[in-house]
Parts: sequence; C-alpha cells; structure tokens
Amino acid sequence: MSAHLKHLVIAMLTALSTMLAIQPANAENTLEKILSAKKIRVAIDVANPPFGILDKSGQPDGSDVAVARQLAKDLGAEIEFVQVPSTGRIPALLAGRADVTIASISVTTDRAKAVMYCNPNGALSITIFAPQSVKIKTPADLVGKRVGITRATLEEATVPKMAPEGTKIVWFDDLASTVQALLSGQVDAAAMTAFAEKTVADANPAKQLENKLLVTTAFYGPIVRPGDFELRQWINTWLFVNAQNGTLATIYKKYTGVDLPPLPTF
Amino acid sequence: MHYVFHFNVVWDHWRELAEGAWLTIRLSVLAMVIGLALATVCAYAKASGPRAVRLGVATYVEVIRNTPFLVQIFIVFFSLPALGISMDANEAALAAMVVNFGAYGTEILRAGIEAVSHGQIDAARALGLTRLQTFRHAVLFPALKIVFPALASQFILLMLASSVVSAISAVELTAVTNSLQSTTFRPFEFYFVAAGLYLFMALGFRAILGGVYWIVFVRGDRA
Repeated sequence: MSAHLKHLVIAMLTALSTMLAIQPANAENTLEKILSAKKIRVAIDVANPPFGILDKSGQPDGSDVAVARQLAKDLGAEIEFVQVPSTGRIPALLAGRADVTIASISVTTDRAKAVMYCNPNGALSITIFAPQSVKIKTPADLVGKRVGITRATLEEATVPKMAPEGTKIVWFDDLASTVQALLSGQVDAAAMTAFAEKTVADANPAKQLENKLLVTTAFYGPIVRPGDFELRQWINTWLFVNAQNGTLATIYKKYTGVDLPPLPTF
Repeated sequence: MHYVFHFNVVWDHWRELAEGAWLTIRLSVLAMVIGLALATVCAYAKASGPRAVRLGVATYVEVIRNTPFLVQIFIVFFSLPALGISMDANEAALAAMVVNFGAYGTEILRAGIEAVSHGQIDAARALGLTRLQTFRHAVLFPALKIVFPALASQFILLMLASSVVSAISAVELTAVTNSLQSTTFRPFEFYFVAAGLYLFMALGFRAILGGVYWIVFVRGDRA
C-alpha cells in the first residue's frame, strides 16, 4: 500500500482514538488516591501456581497474593483483587482497572517500555519439561517437536529465541490450557516456571513428566503505570523493609518450598 | 489518566494480522459449507427418518445448542485425544465449528421445512417424484429460501464466535492479536484494529451472502 494511504489510515485512526481517549483525571496521584480511598486494586493471575492460585474455597492464594495482602495491610488499605489471565496483567494496569499488578511479572527491558517496575520480590526459572519418553537433551532436540508456551509470559519472551529453527511452537492463552495440551498429548513438551512444572508433575505421576532444559532464570516484581513514581517509591520502601525483616523470604519459602535467593534492586 | 495511541505499531504487523484474518475466513467458510451439508442431512433425517434417527438428531441438536462453544472446543481438542482421536488445533477448531453450525443449521432448516405447505409436497408426490426428489425440489429449496436470512445471521455469529478457538492455539485473528498485544504492550491499538477487521469481515460476508441469495433465489426463480 502506498505511503500516502498508510499515513491517511494512521491519521484517521489517531483522530478516532483521540476522540475516544480518556481525559486526564485531576492532579491527585495514584498513591494519594489509594490512601484517601483506603482501597488498593491489585491485578493478580490466579492460574499461575504457586504465585497465584485459588484455594479450596475459591479465594485467591499464592505467594503473590500473600505479598499483595501484606502490602495492602501495611498501606492501611482494603484490597480489591482484579483477577486477570497472564495476557491481561499489563493491559489491566494500563486500562486503569488496577493500581498495581503483582503477578510474578519477570523483569524484561521490553516490558519496561510499557510499565514501571518496582524492585523484585522473587525469582523464578523457566524450564522445558516433557514425559520421560520424549527425548530432549539439548536445544537441538527440540527440532520437529511441538512445544507449548503461554502468551504474555517470560517463556513467550525467551523460548522462541532459544529454540532452533524447525521447533513447532504452540501458543496458548493461559497456563491451564498449556498444561492441558501437554497432558492430552497435543504438544510434546511445554515451557513454564519450574514451580508450575513441579505442581503439574506431582499431580500427574502417571505421565512421568521430567525437567529437560533450563531456559532462563529471572527476577520478578510488582509493576505500576508509567508516571506513578510516588506509588512505586512506597512499594520499593515496603519491599526494602520486608526483605530486611524476613517477611518476603517467609512467604516465598511457604509457597515455593525453596529459599528466596538474594534480591537485587535497581 | 492519559493514554497516547500509537497505531504505527499496528501497521508494522499488518502481515500477521492479515494472515490471522485469512485463517478466520477459511475456517468460517469451510465450517459453513460442511456444516450446512451436515444440517441438510440432519434436517432431512429429522423430517422423514425413522424414529431412532429422529431421536438421535434431536439429541445432537439439543446437546450442542445448550452447551457453550468454548467447552465444545475444549472437548474436541483436549478430551478426544484420550479416546485416540487426535487433531491439530486448526482441525479441532474446524471440527467444533462444523458440529456447532450443523446443530443450529438443522434447527433453522427444520423451521423452514415446516413452513413449506403440504400441498406443495403432495403435488410433487403426485407428479411422480421420489421421496428424495420431493425433498430436494419441493421442500429443501423453498425452505432454504425462507430461512436464508436466518442462516446468514447464524454464519456471521459463527465467524465471530471463531475468535474463541485461539484458546486451543489455532492462530486466527484473535490469537494473532493476543500475541501482538502481549509482545508490543499496545493492547488498545491491536484490539481496536481487530474489532474493526471483524466488523469489516462481517459486513463483507453479509454483502456476499446477500448476493448469493439474489443469484440463487431471486434471479434463479425467474429463470
């Protein structure tokens, strides 16, 4: 299509969106709003064990949820959970449906172009796992295999880069579908956090699922909207205090079963 | 809150979006053609088959029309492999769409068949047409003409409902949009454009189906 037409289309779309755009609110910043309303809206992903799950009574639980509850308590605010799928973690925040997202969002430079990270509150590894019968020893063994990954996750950002050409990558909208695809044999292998793998493997001993390859290790932290510096500063202060007094380590150990590694800050 | 829209990002990915839309179109059209054939057989069986067959068709129609499409897709993709029936995502999506459209189509055609006057059927029989010939010329064709607008609407609904097959990893328009928004962090731009593309495709299909109606039933009748 010609450059003229391209510019025309973009101009029309921009004009349309300007008409639809939400007008800037008053000058009160997000932290002040939370403090005066005594309510904080936290986006969580409850389909991502052990960080976010639903307990037997259907209530949100998991390490991220425990961190969010403690954070809200120390803020003196009532917590309102906004449950989102992994693909909704950043959009929910940008759309103003939540004040902060605490959903094991690994720190990546790409995501930092869209949202602001607070300091990390945990670490995770992405690994590829498969039934024992599937032979995967090196990344080269992935050629010709169907590897399931979940959209808007760290595995989506890393697996396509490490997998050699010829790997059939299959995308799903949430972790539950990726797991289901592996268990039903619709994919040969799947990539997810080592913790999620353990949960799945323990729940399905007959499948003889085992860890095949380490993809990456990363730190994750809460995210806020661009420009919410006051809220970010308060959360960083909270993270500092709770790293010192051991609260973060206790929560992490309780849900993941492993010790929290030393958390770097930025 | 202020948000700056960047539609240039969408433009950079127009090829992926076009490929996604193309799969949506192919899945929808194939599902409509095969589903309509299935619906015709079922409607015939329901109108004049033996009791056991009528009961079978009625069960199929009621089960499909009273369960969510998403659950039907999950069953085809995630549960059938346990019974040894394994399909890839696109095949599973097409199968679920055919079965779904077939059930709604059966019910729509049944309504059309019931609207055909008995005198017309008796006349066809009196002229010596066989049962199948009677069904084809005196029942199905007039019935299709009566229910064509309802079938066209059902087809548009099917095309729009195909967006949920992204859940089983079929890479149609919604799946492409989900991937692009999650890697570019521009959800509003991509979802707006995807909505626009669906609207465009729906209006396009309405126009094409309107043309088909005119060619087959209006001009065809005059000939």
